[in-house]
Amino acid sequence: MIEGNNDLNIQTWLEEHGDYLFSYALLRVKDTHLAEDLVQETLLAAITAKNTFSNQSTIRTWLIGILKHKLVDQFRRQGREVAIGDLIDQDEGDNLDNFFNANGRWTDTPDTFNNPDLAFQQKEFWKVFQQCLTGLKPKQVEVFLAKEIHGMSNEDICKNFALSQTNVWVIMHRTRLSLIKCLKINWID
Amino acid sequence: MLNCKQASQLASRAMDEKLPLWKNMALQMHLLLCRSCTNFTRQLHFLRKAAHRSKTDLDFQLTDEARQRIANALKDKQNG
Repeated sequence: MIEGNNDLNIQTWLEEHGDYLFSYALLRVKDTHLAEDLVQETLLAAITAKNTFSNQSTIRTWLIGILKHKLVDQFRRQGREVAIGDLIDQDEGDNLDNFFNANGRWTDTPDTFNNPDLAFQQKEFWKVFQQCLTGLKPKQVEVFLAKEIHGMSNEDICKNFALSQTNVWVIMHRTRLSLIKCLKINWID
Repeated sequence: MLNCKQASQLASRAMDEKLPLWKNMALQMHLLLCRSCTNFTRQLHFLRKAAHRSKTDLDFQLTDEARQRIANALKDKQNG
């Protein structure tokens, strides 16, 4: 983990954060080349702005912040009205009413997919999976991508996103509930 | 006795770390009696597998060409 202005080494940004930034951008713009360009623009802007990097945040949080502004510019060019606030979490509290009733029982009882391994071989499944990821709340996407797809440790998640261990449990629980529900509704196996 | 909401919280947490002994026992006890939460636990594992595979199946990583192109652009910028 690079921290501190003395250690700002731009090539390692690409190595350490390139895939993460790319996957985040791809989920938003759904176009590989555009997502690549956005990663490049983000890192170029980061070079220009590196003096503004403060030790208060981590490199990754800072880079994601720049990427979000690039995304808003991009949406504007496409004539889509997206405010930066839409890419930043509103406080969701601890509300799980969509999933559990007041007694803590499931509102929709979970069942399983008939043939999970077959799912992975089907294009349709991956389309749905991507849609479900896109439908997550901003913080959920950021944490889920980092943790489950790019393999970041819980400890680094806490540091990178300035979250407590409990925050991470709550976010991951809610994210998993949402994704499973979304897959179950939209993908028929 | 845990309710399903609490059990699902622990089941999710157990995907990421070893639960404290008591919490794990409470979860296992609940799972023995609750088919819904057992199914949810299976779904959690399914989701993890899907997430791991999505890195390649959904191309969630930069291609070597793109990486090189970006690296060059960064170098130009730093030198220029």
